[in-house]
Amino acid sequence: MKTLNMKKFAVVAVLLVFVGFAFTPAPDRITVKGSDTMVILAQKWAEVYMQSNPSAAIQVTGGGSGTGISALINGATDIANSSRKMKNTEREKLKARYNTLGIEVACAKDGITVYLHPSNKVKELTVKQLGDIFRGEITNWKQVGGADQNIKLYGRENSSGTYVFFQENVVKGDYAPSCQTLPGTAAVVNAVKKDPNAIGYGGAAYAEGIEICKVKKDDNSPGYVASAETIKSNQYPITRYLFMYLRNKPTGAMKTYIDWILSPEGQKLVVETGYFPVK
Amino acid sequence: MKRISLIALVLVSVIFFKANAQEPTTDEKLTEVNDKVNGLLERLATDETDLQKLTKIKVSGYMQAQYQYFENPSIQPNNYFSLRRARVKFTYEMADGVKFVLTPEFVPGNLSVKDAYVVLNDRWSKAFSIWAGKFNRPNYEVEYSSSSRELAERSMVIRTLYPGERAIGAKLEYNPVNIPLHVQFALLNGADGITINNASGVNQNTTENKDFDNYKDIMVRATYNLQLGNFGGLDFGAHGYFGSFKSNALKTLSSDYTTIEDVKFGDAVKRNWVGGEFQLFADLLGGLSVKGEYIAGKNASIGYSPVAAVGTTAATPGVANFQNNFAGYYLYFIKNLGKKNQFAFRYDYYDPNTDITGKDVTIAKYTSADATTLKNRVSGKSDLATSTFGFALHHYFDDNLRISLNYEIVQNEKVGSAGLLTEDYTKADGTKVVKGLDYSNVINQNLLTLRIQAKF
Repeated sequence: MKTLNMKKFAVVAVLLVFVGFAFTPAPDRITVKGSDTMVILAQKWAEVYMQSNPSAAIQVTGGGSGTGISALINGATDIANSSRKMKNTEREKLKARYNTLGIEVACAKDGITVYLHPSNKVKELTVKQLGDIFRGEITNWKQVGGADQNIKLYGRENSSGTYVFFQENVVKGDYAPSCQTLPGTAAVVNAVKKDPNAIGYGGAAYAEGIEICKVKKDDNSPGYVASAETIKSNQYPITRYLFMYLRNKPTGAMKTYIDWILSPEGQKLVVETGYFPVK
Repeated sequence: MKRISLIALVLVSVIFFKANAQEPTTDEKLTEVNDKVNGLLERLATDETDLQKLTKIKVSGYMQAQYQYFENPSIQPNNYFSLRRARVKFTYEMADGVKFVLTPEFVPGNLSVKDAYVVLNDRWSKAFSIWAGKFNRPNYEVEYSSSSRELAERSMVIRTLYPGERAIGAKLEYNPVNIPLHVQFALLNGADGITINNASGVNQNTTENKDFDNYKDIMVRATYNLQLGNFGGLDFGAHGYFGSFKSNALKTLSSDYTTIEDVKFGDAVKRNWVGGEFQLFADLLGGLSVKGEYIAGKNASIGYSPVAAVGTTAATPGVANFQNNFAGYYLYFIKNLGKKNQFAFRYDYYDPNTDITGKDVTIAKYTSADATTLKNRVSGKSDLATSTFGFALHHYFDDNLRISLNYEIVQNEKVGSAGLLTEDYTKADGTKVVKGLDYSNVINQNLLTLRIQAKF
């Protein structure tokens, strides 16, 4: 009886391993989800790519970097756009579910821009002052050379990669409880537009109708606005890469699309959208 | 006429002023709207503050319902539905660097606390964290969530060494920000989940919330994550366990049943082991991993002193403490089958006594039964090694739902000759089969498990 069982299951095991060596086919339809900062850019890429490749089907949605990476881990998207690096905890989940560490593709650069109302007398701030402001330790504009008015803080939700990047690199602690969280960078820009005492942060591509605050590394450094030159020369202090994460090495239609994004044609769209090329 | 005109003028004026008094001006309306908006904003700010507090609480959990079929004839009933795990995990991050975790388990007939601990992260270097409470012992398979595990249960060596997985104690973790190194140092009560019987066969280690003795056990684990470019990654590391139980007997018997050592009540009976582990993740053929761990060392079980006869109650012979040299390992092969399916294979082996083989069991040299000198321990079933071939197929309906089919082929180490080590068992109809299980053969202990898991 025992021998029979062993034989039976040895056959099953061999079959299963055989099946296991099958390749995972590359998807025909590519789904992209994640960073709201990257939504405009990702949509532009998809739109232009599909025009020149009518057989391609690419669907782009936002939701935030965390949401995109979660979707990648649970198999709901093929590409996760993220404005921050994948966290170790997320990588562990990907390992547990798909046995891979994921593929990271740096596809653009961004300078996190600090938005002010055009009427604000303050035109530049150091990274430390920004941290103090968003931690709630500086609460009045007069503490940084502005009018005697309380500072109104606007930021992103905690599923946003911009929220995480800004917290880790600028705030370096907890955001002030008074910081109003808004869904998307466009909402932050709108809020700052309407409020003379407001300050917000987000991607460079959204900065329209507001004053862009110059950012200084420290008291003795000159202030810079994010631009191709200041980012390339590392002068602008709040610079980051924008990433695409995949579960596996890209093959087929996915590889062709990623290669195109990194090509001069794809990187040209990066500049047109207000971001900066990776090279 | 003049009077009438005057009255009319007064009336018109009154009506006009009254009308004016009732109709607010635009400025007044604006002020009113502003006040209302400010009031709403204030309420919104209060609500947002309350809502922010709620976002600090995370609730997750999973439930595993299963059907099992046991081929072992001594297990009755031999097939049933059961709820294997039903856990809800509450995590409250009250501030940056402070976290509380509470995980109750709601299995029918038993409510228990699986995790209950606080984590304090160092806010400056962000590399150190201190844990206190009841948490998973530092070991790969122990810390790997049951909701993600590829085989239905952990391998036998891990289940034996770390029963219930969790222990009460404190732990220091070191996770440097820029180096993929992970170091854990834990100080534990050490007796969590372990049975320590007295002469009447009653477990003395039932107070789950405090230690059985004054000895604290130390666990250390260090792992390193090596990235292998686009190929994948290799995680490797080692862990060690250094602990003791207090002796309840006056003798300790060696692993090969030949040497007896005199001890005092309360003396430390050592249990130390070390292990090495690796996990290889490869972006090959859609993703696969190979994981393994080897652990060897000395474990211990605690005996008891004899009880003298009282009146008509017969004397109970004592049992010596026992220190067994053991070894065990497991090896996984896991492969994705597309996005929705996964195949897993595991071979696991556990030899609870590496000093004697199956052929040595119960042979006179090793059967040192002697109640008067507290050596009443004989080699037997608990010294036999077990190897298990496990196969599993998983289908992920979505992120929340997984259905798994597991089959385990369990093989015991055989004793030397027929009839040397046997057990009776009772069939489903109540018939007793005397010496029905003969360990000179492989006893059929294969197990089929069909499990559905819901996770949120």
